[in-house]
Amino acid sequence: MEPREIEELLPFYALDALTDEERELVETYLREHPEARQQLDEMGKAVSALPYGAAPVEPAARTKEALMARVAVDPRSRALKQEQAPRPREMRWINIFQAFGLGAATVAILWAVVLNIQLSQMKNQVALLNEALVAQSNALQEINARLAQTPVAETVTISLKGTDIQPQAQGQLIADPNKNSAVLVIDGLDQLEPGKTYQVWLIDGGEPISAGLLSLDSNGQAVLIVTSELTIGEFNALGISVEPEGGSQQPTGDIVVLSDL
Amino acid sequence: MSRSKNANGVSVRIKDESSLLSSKDKTGPEQLSDEILVARITRGDSSALEALYDRHASTVLGVLLKVIGDRALAEDVLQETFWRVWKSASTYESERGPFTGWLFRIARNLAIDAHRRTNVRPQILVTENDVDALADRAPDPDTDVPEQAQVDFRNQQVRAALASLPRVQRQVIELAYFYGMTRQEISKATGEALGTIHTRARLGLQKLREELDREEFEG
Repeated sequence: MEPREIEELLPFYALDALTDEERELVETYLREHPEARQQLDEMGKAVSALPYGAAPVEPAARTKEALMARVAVDPRSRALKQEQAPRPREMRWINIFQAFGLGAATVAILWAVVLNIQLSQMKNQVALLNEALVAQSNALQEINARLAQTPVAETVTISLKGTDIQPQAQGQLIADPNKNSAVLVIDGLDQLEPGKTYQVWLIDGGEPISAGLLSLDSNGQAVLIVTSELTIGEFNALGISVEPEGGSQQPTGDIVVLSDL
Repeated sequence: MSRSKNANGVSVRIKDESSLLSSKDKTGPEQLSDEILVARITRGDSSALEALYDRHASTVLGVLLKVIGDRALAEDVLQETFWRVWKSASTYESERGPFTGWLFRIARNLAIDAHRRTNVRPQILVTENDVDALADRAPDPDTDVPEQAQVDFRNQQVRAALASLPRVQRQVIELAYFYGMTRQEISKATGEALGTIHTRARLGLQKLREELDREEFEG
């Protein structure tokens, strides 16, 4: 391709609308002609503004709730909490020894001092933890006392289990039977081959009604806000089946989860 | 520093911003830059993701709705977009551009995929009105558009700049960017020669840049 022809591709490169082959041609050209990069940067600035050309739309609250519920059960969220715990201090003492190059006798004396300090710190930490434990215990007692005075909540949690096809699958449906929506949390589902998806069904004795498609994360977990025109309490069962991508009108594939509501 | 390919095949890297990531930092997430929030996400800070969501979700949903045209599906793709941000934050490279560019690329690619799954793309010559309708598709009438007073100044600037472009130039830009149509597909759909499409895209981006500069747009 002539250089002039490749330069004609630059606007579409900036717009990210080239075929893979064309994109490679442009990238090779840019490596060999760095002066074209400036031209591309100018176009890129215009392209970066394009998303603001669409009218902003306030998302439904449930979208954020579902996202944050998904994040909350992600192992990375939990990892941060563990990371924030106090770190061991042994390395700092080792550095002190190296820095001052003390003799063996001095090291022994210092070590004894260090051990005493650490012991003292540990005692303080244990005391603090005990205080926190007592505070939490008191808070728990207060919550229990309030719960005892509060009318029984309408929300129920229903356990969901995998069928013989995926017996390891399990989950929960958290729902108020008098409401039209519920939260489905499912775990342990197998990853599907491309072109397949999991579809959730609510069953009231007649034909199953689709309640949405599941997007599994890499751990086989998924969270879905289930909504229906009928209240959740009007349904007898919930099922999850394997369907072609985009879902089906009625279940056509393997039923991997089926539980009475 | 780490380097890898993200879900969109873009090789990205993020600087070590450990000094800004200290858990002892009392600055609220809503006061931090996008780039610092992304760096915090790499450490599993979900409040940073929440702050980014609050800041950008309405713009992202506007883009998704324009491409997909279905509110429920657009909301699903919005959730997936920010889930990808959560999962792939470590692959974002601040040196290669602002976070919003990366975010919008994820959203746009997911939206185009969703659009292709649910729509038959123009394969044969269609009327000019059809193409206009695709490029100009208005949001769902049920869309909860924010109050005018809350509409971001940047959106007004860009919409004004886009409106100033000749219709045929804006059409090419929008079909390429929002719908991922290649220049050949646009040529086929509009019935215009490939050379004409090239010229419209180049002149359109050039004029858009000039208009944004004139309005002192800061993305």
